[in-house]
Amino acid sequence: MKAGDKLVWVIYDITENTKRTKVAKACKNKGLYRVQKSAFLGTLNKNQLDEFKVMCEDIISPDKDSVYIFPMCEDDFKKVKLLGQAFDRKLVTDEVKALFI
Amino acid sequence: MTVFDNESTPMVTPSEVIEHVYCPRFTYYMNCLNIPQHEGLRYKVLKGRTLHEKRETANRDYLRKKLGCTDKDISVYLTSRNIGVRGMIDEVLYLSDNTLAPLDYKYAEYTDYTFETHRVQSTLYALLIMENYQKPVHKGFICYAKSENRIKEIVYTEKDFCYAKGAVREVFDVILRGYYPERTQWQNRCIDCCYRNICV
Repeated sequence: MKAGDKLVWVIYDITENTKRTKVAKACKNKGLYRVQKSAFLGTLNKNQLDEFKVMCEDIISPDKDSVYIFPMCEDDFKKVKLLGQAFDRKLVTDEVKALFI
Repeated sequence: MTVFDNESTPMVTPSEVIEHVYCPRFTYYMNCLNIPQHEGLRYKVLKGRTLHEKRETANRDYLRKKLGCTDKDISVYLTSRNIGVRGMIDEVLYLSDNTLAPLDYKYAEYTDYTFETHRVQSTLYALLIMENYQKPVHKGFICYAKSENRIKEIVYTEKDFCYAKGAVREVFDVILRGYYPERTQWQNRCIDCCYRNICV
């Protein structure tokens, strides 16, 4: 992880297909990895995080949809427990997988 | 006879000056090497531009009476050969105490701390207004759009004016001599810099 980067989880619940696709694309464009259908994980710096927040605000309908952005420190991330089919290994790159081990 | 500014007059904009204050190497890359920043690719920059476009058309007659404003000019283009600056001021406010004040809109969040760049930009606007309107300017305002348009007041001191003029001189110095300036001492600024790949 580069200096100034933060590990971030993005989890969303969006009703409209087009808006959901746009948020998913924004996540991918920011270099986040798809962990589950509506959950992304990756590293962002302070400005990228702020930019991403602004983008999501513009895409979603605040009265119907929700997007959670959780920053997480690396120490806490290492304590994460994965049970069952926790994430699709095909979708997550080696960099993120290495953090789970 | 009034000498009008033309595009070939050597002048810099307040934006170029604040970029120089942020990191002097911006001036070198932009003005000496002509490498563009491509700031238009940044989402927040585009949002800021939309904000400025909206502001020019919506609510044009609204006066901020709380600030003691009696009249205003919107999007005023001013130049000064003396300090070598040209720029567009979002709003020039006529205050009830017979002074003027610049108002600048920022697509940013309000903090108690006033960033050096915001202060320098506002001070340069103040200098431009003083010269062109021939009226005193003691304070300026910044409107933070991301914090429900909260207004911050900046009271200028003689030190601010000297610092702003000095910053403009520094920009011209880099451009005219074409030397590679020292980078900013704050390494946090390099993390998201558009020139980080070529800056050594």
